[in-house]
Amino acid sequence: MKKIVSLVLAVMMLCGMMSFAGAEETITLNVWSFTNELQGMIEKYYAPSHPNVKINYVIYPTDGGEYTSKVDAIMAAAAASDEAPDIFTLEAAFVKKYVNSDVTANLADLGFTEEELAPAIPVMKQIGTSNINGQLKGLSWQATPGALMYRASLAEKYLGVTTPEEMQAKVADWDLFMETAQELYDASEGATKMVVGAGDIWNAYQYSRTQGWVVDGKLVIDPVLYDYLDLTKVLEEDDLSNKGGAWTETWFNGMKTDSTLCFLLPTWGLHYTLKPNCGQGTNDTMDDATLKATCEANGGTYGDWRMVAGPVGYSWGGTWIGANAAKVAAATDAEKAAMKEFISFFTLSEEFLYAYAKDSGDFVGNNDVVNKILAEGGTPNPFLGGQDHYSIFAEAANLANGAIMTDYDEKINSLWSDYVTTPYSKGEKDLDTCIADFKAQVAAQFPELVIE
Amino acid sequence: MQKVQTNTQLAPKKKRKSISYDKYGYLFVAPFFIVFAIFQLYPILFTFRTSVTDAAGWSKILDNEIIGFANFAKLFAFGTEVSNFFWQSIGNTVIMWTFNFVPQIGMALLLASWFTDTRMRLKFQGGFKVLIFMPNIITAATIGMLFFSLFSYPISPVNTLLQNAGLINEPIEWFRSTAISRGMISFIQWWMWYGNTMIIMIAGILGINPALFEAALVDGCSSRQTFWKITLPLIKPILLYNLVTSLVGGLTMFDIPHLMTQGNPNYTTNTVARFIYTQGFETPNNFNMASAASVVLFIIIVICSLILSAIMKDRDAKPAKGGAKK
Repeated sequence: MKKIVSLVLAVMMLCGMMSFAGAEETITLNVWSFTNELQGMIEKYYAPSHPNVKINYVIYPTDGGEYTSKVDAIMAAAAASDEAPDIFTLEAAFVKKYVNSDVTANLADLGFTEEELAPAIPVMKQIGTSNINGQLKGLSWQATPGALMYRASLAEKYLGVTTPEEMQAKVADWDLFMETAQELYDASEGATKMVVGAGDIWNAYQYSRTQGWVVDGKLVIDPVLYDYLDLTKVLEEDDLSNKGGAWTETWFNGMKTDSTLCFLLPTWGLHYTLKPNCGQGTNDTMDDATLKATCEANGGTYGDWRMVAGPVGYSWGGTWIGANAAKVAAATDAEKAAMKEFISFFTLSEEFLYAYAKDSGDFVGNNDVVNKILAEGGTPNPFLGGQDHYSIFAEAANLANGAIMTDYDEKINSLWSDYVTTPYSKGEKDLDTCIADFKAQVAAQFPELVIE
Repeated sequence: MQKVQTNTQLAPKKKRKSISYDKYGYLFVAPFFIVFAIFQLYPILFTFRTSVTDAAGWSKILDNEIIGFANFAKLFAFGTEVSNFFWQSIGNTVIMWTFNFVPQIGMALLLASWFTDTRMRLKFQGGFKVLIFMPNIITAATIGMLFFSLFSYPISPVNTLLQNAGLINEPIEWFRSTAISRGMISFIQWWMWYGNTMIIMIAGILGINPALFEAALVDGCSSRQTFWKITLPLIKPILLYNLVTSLVGGLTMFDIPHLMTQGNPNYTTNTVARFIYTQGFETPNNFNMASAASVVLFIIIVICSLILSAIMKDRDAKPAKGGAKK
């Protein structure tokens, strides 16, 4: 009897030790981000299938540069410490700064292979790639290609356009775009303008460049930018735009009324900017039916929008996931595998991306999944009069060239707008003065750049 | 045993005679000095140190080398971009400060002398004081955004109002005009702060011995004479205090220009504080240049304050009370 009892006890102890050893393999990943978006996705999709990984999620807002300051400070002081992030997310405004620095790990070091990475949408990969050594360091679960949204009723009334294909033919490049703007102005006698403002098309136009702002430590003004300046001047002087800036009252007003034909917006812009502002009294907390009813009751524009790829494929915004290089260097194989699995799950796993796309309607950053959704008939969108936005975004996403993005872009773009586009298009200064002022500003801000 | 006990009982009695409570005073002031040392003194010293290093970028913020006064040399290398923008920022700041401060002191003095004038006996004084002080309670950020929306282009409340009233045909682009942009910043600063200055002036005037005013009244002084010959000379220390605090506040002006104009149009509303901000906290984080500019600004403020107190000092009599301290 005693023998049996001791045997049972021994077996139980062994089992206990084994299960204890199993529990010890729990890996903790520090994930830093600037919104709770990824946190929600972790809880809903990732956590159930990864019980052995404990996610320690930390949020710092991007307001006033808090997030980047926190990341910079810990990477400078204690990059490999327990408090430092293993995984951190990067916004379009600063993704280049980090993938160009040593703080983000080369994804190849985590074991990502070319084959695994192949389906990721090229423009997101290009932006997640270091300009310095060409290493891929950031991947995204979504792609944020932009397109051109236009009002079907106004296009038919003034331009005689009845299908998106005809509209695309009218805006296929920037020259045609401007001709159409003039045609619209003449036909509507100035009641409807092509776009709200000259600055509105910058996000798209910058992708027409073949070189980024900085090449080999030198400031480069791509020749196409001078065409851009002429275009903005015409839009302003010939009264072809409503002369308002993005995010102003004029801009939002253009979405509700017949004052504006086109908006150049990306995926999130369609869902979170254009749609909630399509009529008086609509907002982004309404569900689709309420929004539609409110919009129609107030003479709004719901259902009158259509989408085409526009003059150039471009991308605007996005969030990338990167790994902390110091943590990767010090990680055990198991930890590395967990980090790779985390990034891979959110950015490459077909199962997750398909489920996420179906649940949220977000445009995901993986061509295999995008093609699968297209093969199933896409996503007819009542806001676009039943048009499928996935196919247009897919087209735009694969046209955009993200290789021209640099870590200087955010600041230089704003200097370009403040010191060149605005004063030149409004006729305040001549071109040479504008360019000289712009170069002086860049020189003061970036002493290390060579400026000719 | 008992003897020892009595001894220990006696000992405190002896001490109690010479006990001092002074040390508790230190405990009471300690929280201020601890917070001050961590959040003010240390950052100030750190700024001084950073200004003589090559700390450009976060990676060098702690791990940098002292390179002497090269950063200062860049600020004083007239003709180069950094130097030009730095001095232009100082010029902008001084212009906008002057157009805010002169009307501010004038208005505050006028209102203070009315409110304290025994002959005028204004009614509803409390109500007026509250209304005048009110703008100071609202945060500058809110006011900056408010004015930005009021005057934006082309659709904005002000433009619509003027167009409907038939005063203008085309909307005006307020923030593309240097004079209007600067004027608006000066106006907001004036509007926010003249109430505050007025309250301090009233306190100063009420601190003057009423016997002096009565004597003046008996001698047949007019209101104007009383103001220029009695009130003004006697509130000199308060005026100096106002001048110096306003100078410090004005030269470090940041929030309104940052939120409303971002230095536009053409850098004409860019203040020194914004210069420091863009150098230090926008890519690529030139902390060394930002610190050097801060130190130069600090020296400018110290020199201006010293000059002001030298000018305002009462030469004939004893040093003005409190005035020379600030």
